[in-house]
Amino acid sequence: MVVENQISLSRRENKLLKYARSYFSSVKGIVGFSLLLLFIFMAIFAPVIAPYSPDEMTDDVLKPPSAKHLFGTDHLGRDIYSRVVFGSRISLSVGFVAAGLSAVIGVLIGSFSGFYGGITDDIVSKIVDTFLMIPSFFLILIIVSIFGSNILYIMFVIGLTTWPGNARLMRAQALSIRERTFIMVARSTGESRIRILFGHVIPNGVFPVIANSALQMGGAILTEASLSFLGLGDPNLTSWGKLIFQGRPYMTFAPWMIIIPGIFVVLAVLAFSFIGDGLQFTFNPKNRKGE
Amino acid sequence: MDKNILQVKDLVKYFPVRKFGKKQYVKAVDGLNFSIKDGEIFGVLGESGCGKTTLGRVINRLEHEQSGTIEFMGGTISGKEYRKDRHFRRRMQMIFQNPYDSFDPRVIIYKSMDLPMKINEIEPDGRKRLERIIETMNHAKLTPAESLLTRYPHELSGGQLQRISMIRSMLLNPKFLVADECVSMLDVSVRAGVLNLLLTIQKELKSSMLFITHDISVATYICQRIMVLYAGKIMEIASSDGILKNPLHPYSKALVSYSPTISKEEKMRYTITGEVVTPIDPPPGCRFASRCPIAKGECTEKEPELRYIGKDRQVACHFV
Amino acid sequence: MPLLEMKNVNINYRLKNRQVRAVRDFTLDINEGDIVGVIGESGSGKSTLAHGLMRILPGNGYMEASTITLNGRDILNISDNEFRQLRWVEMSIVFQKAMSALSPVHKIFDQMYDAILAHKPETGKEEAIKKLEGLLSVVNLPRKALDMYPHELSGGMMQRVMISLGLIFNPKLVILDEVTTALDVITQGQLLDEVKRLVKEFGLTVMMITHDIGVVNELCTKIAILYAGELLEYGDVKDVIFRPLNPYTRALVESHPDLNPHGGGLRGIPGTLPDLSNPPEGCIFYDRCTCRLDRCREEKPELRDFNDRKVKCLRAGELNG
Repeated sequence: MVVENQISLSRRENKLLKYARSYFSSVKGIVGFSLLLLFIFMAIFAPVIAPYSPDEMTDDVLKPPSAKHLFGTDHLGRDIYSRVVFGSRISLSVGFVAAGLSAVIGVLIGSFSGFYGGITDDIVSKIVDTFLMIPSFFLILIIVSIFGSNILYIMFVIGLTTWPGNARLMRAQALSIRERTFIMVARSTGESRIRILFGHVIPNGVFPVIANSALQMGGAILTEASLSFLGLGDPNLTSWGKLIFQGRPYMTFAPWMIIIPGIFVVLAVLAFSFIGDGLQFTFNPKNRKGE
Repeated sequence: MDKNILQVKDLVKYFPVRKFGKKQYVKAVDGLNFSIKDGEIFGVLGESGCGKTTLGRVINRLEHEQSGTIEFMGGTISGKEYRKDRHFRRRMQMIFQNPYDSFDPRVIIYKSMDLPMKINEIEPDGRKRLERIIETMNHAKLTPAESLLTRYPHELSGGQLQRISMIRSMLLNPKFLVADECVSMLDVSVRAGVLNLLLTIQKELKSSMLFITHDISVATYICQRIMVLYAGKIMEIASSDGILKNPLHPYSKALVSYSPTISKEEKMRYTITGEVVTPIDPPPGCRFASRCPIAKGECTEKEPELRYIGKDRQVACHFV
Repeated sequence: MPLLEMKNVNINYRLKNRQVRAVRDFTLDINEGDIVGVIGESGSGKSTLAHGLMRILPGNGYMEASTITLNGRDILNISDNEFRQLRWVEMSIVFQKAMSALSPVHKIFDQMYDAILAHKPETGKEEAIKKLEGLLSVVNLPRKALDMYPHELSGGMMQRVMISLGLIFNPKLVILDEVTTALDVITQGQLLDEVKRLVKEFGLTVMMITHDIGVVNELCTKIAILYAGELLEYGDVKDVIFRPLNPYTRALVESHPDLNPHGGGLRGIPGTLPDLSNPPEGCIFYDRCTCRLDRCREEKPELRDFNDRKVKCLRAGELNG
């Protein structure tokens, strides 16, 4: 048994390797992945990378980029480079948590609805469609203005308003997978429905949702930035969006205050969308022919 | 002797279809009555859309019938009754048409074979299960078993997969097998091996089988008795030889005469016209009447009953 | 002079890191009036051969040959443009997947008319209607089929439309690529009867590609056995089926379940196809052959003449009948 498990493990790794090779064969995939690595590195080693504390005020007020302050300083003399580096922590976690939550909810509801079918599916689909019709950004605005702008709320609200897309994707997958022969085999050998759902349907159908989630991470970062820009971000935390918000009054004579964090938002969104494209390419069976 | 392992009474399965908002029914299986003897291989023969696959699925409880009863090994399994029998899945197994799709593509063969045994409590010890799998595979000349077991399904050929699929069912020691077109997607040279393995399994387990196919030559090779289906209705039930050498129902005659064969002589066609029609709200009378060369007025009015013609032979036709 | 002459046809597919030699050294003459059944299992290259002849190979496939002539005319070394003039007019092909060959949103007539215009742009609508009506009646379809959409036709009717489409310009040679495979037994039989009649009426020469020996036995006059890209045996249908000279032919016939069983149960052919990106040096069937000799492994058998037949096997003479 142990031997068997080892063999299967090493073969699974081989398969991962194959996916990886296919993913990294696209330029977008490489660029996206490198950018993401860079951001993660920034977030984890922020205290090491940043030359100043993000909240340390100096007399160098509104100084343009220079050797001393790489990206210049803001109206309170804080080093923007350090603030951007620390801001990556907030922005990235918003992306991961919000999109992760959205993926989990979407996969569970979508697969359940598609796999069980019948009336369950009708009802769930209608609910999903209703959610899709709600303009999510306004919903987020309302919720944040009612419950206050704690970063956790923001993450959850973004997650809770973006899952219907994932649910739709997953439902379509479940609908087609449940007609496949190996599901019939599982049923006729007596596997329980729950086991079929979690053991066969979700693992075989989850890939498009993963690819979509990468795109949604970028979207979540953007949404959080927009909220912060409107002054609805978490008052205690400094995200990239917040930096832009703070730079707004000074943008005519200190444009670096908004341009620099703006570039980072764009790069993050770009990175995630490249990763999403790369994953979509990898998971698309059409691109795996001839292997 | 001659005990029935499976008895089907008035089995009906309709599928709703909506056409321009009007709800109609495809009468896929429409009032079937037949029984299968213990140890018998019973063939279901018919063209596409005759309801043969639906029948297999209903018997294996993958679909639920509208009405009718199915008795299996002395108990009832129709409706939700089969759930009362904890070992139902162990007793009845199904082999599907598409071997390439019969295995979860993300899982190695070993896991696909191990799980059914585990779930059905055949053997609690994983090591012993593995031993049994390897032993059975060696017995079926699927070698080297150890290396096959660690492969992914897409790395194996259709013939290998179909044989492994049969062994997977066999490991549960089923008393009854439903084989749904299990060789129709395989090459001729591989087909024979798969059919022979199926026969071996059936003999060793002393089980009975419902063998669904569209191919008369395969049916007559495998089965003792054959039931000919057309548009959801039974046309004829007879021994393999009876169907092949002396078909009584006009549809059976046509089927036999149109089947391509390797013979030196030119075969005479029992000519019929038209093509199979899906039985959506079919008109009264015999389902085959519109294509039948010997149909008369009463065929479109009165539905012929399935009646006995001699021992062990039933035909549904007014003029036999 | 043969109608279609093929000498040393090779067809390869380029894949990422290797080359699959799907058809190798295929040499065959097809005489006028023959109905040749090309038999092979999956991977035998039978469809590839047909597609190569029609120059409709997928992008990564290419064909080489020493000669291919149709009716005495070289069709190997002509440009694609010249070939287009001749395709459909001199030789045509009918595919298995009739459903996907026709556009679902256009009427049958419009699609057939388009096909005519593509080759003879000067054809008027009236003329086309007349011609198509005639064609449909030839394949036993009602006139109203012209005004129907593809989904309104059944599988068998669809295949008849496709066949009539192949006959528009009275081609000399028609290639039928697995045309009956997706059909039911009775529909298949009806279509085969139809083809038989057409061959007589039009004096057609047919190359029928299929995996079913039974179909070939009923329809064809000649049979060509393909295995893993090579022609192993060719001759009169009854001769080849009932007195096979090549071990593969015999094994294939014996593994075919039939209405008239040959006794002794079915014997399959154990083993799998050889790797075609690196075909073996000797006989292609060596791995799975029950009559092999040691020298079969290294020595490549030639396609030899045996009375009216061609056989590729070192032991062809010994295994007579």
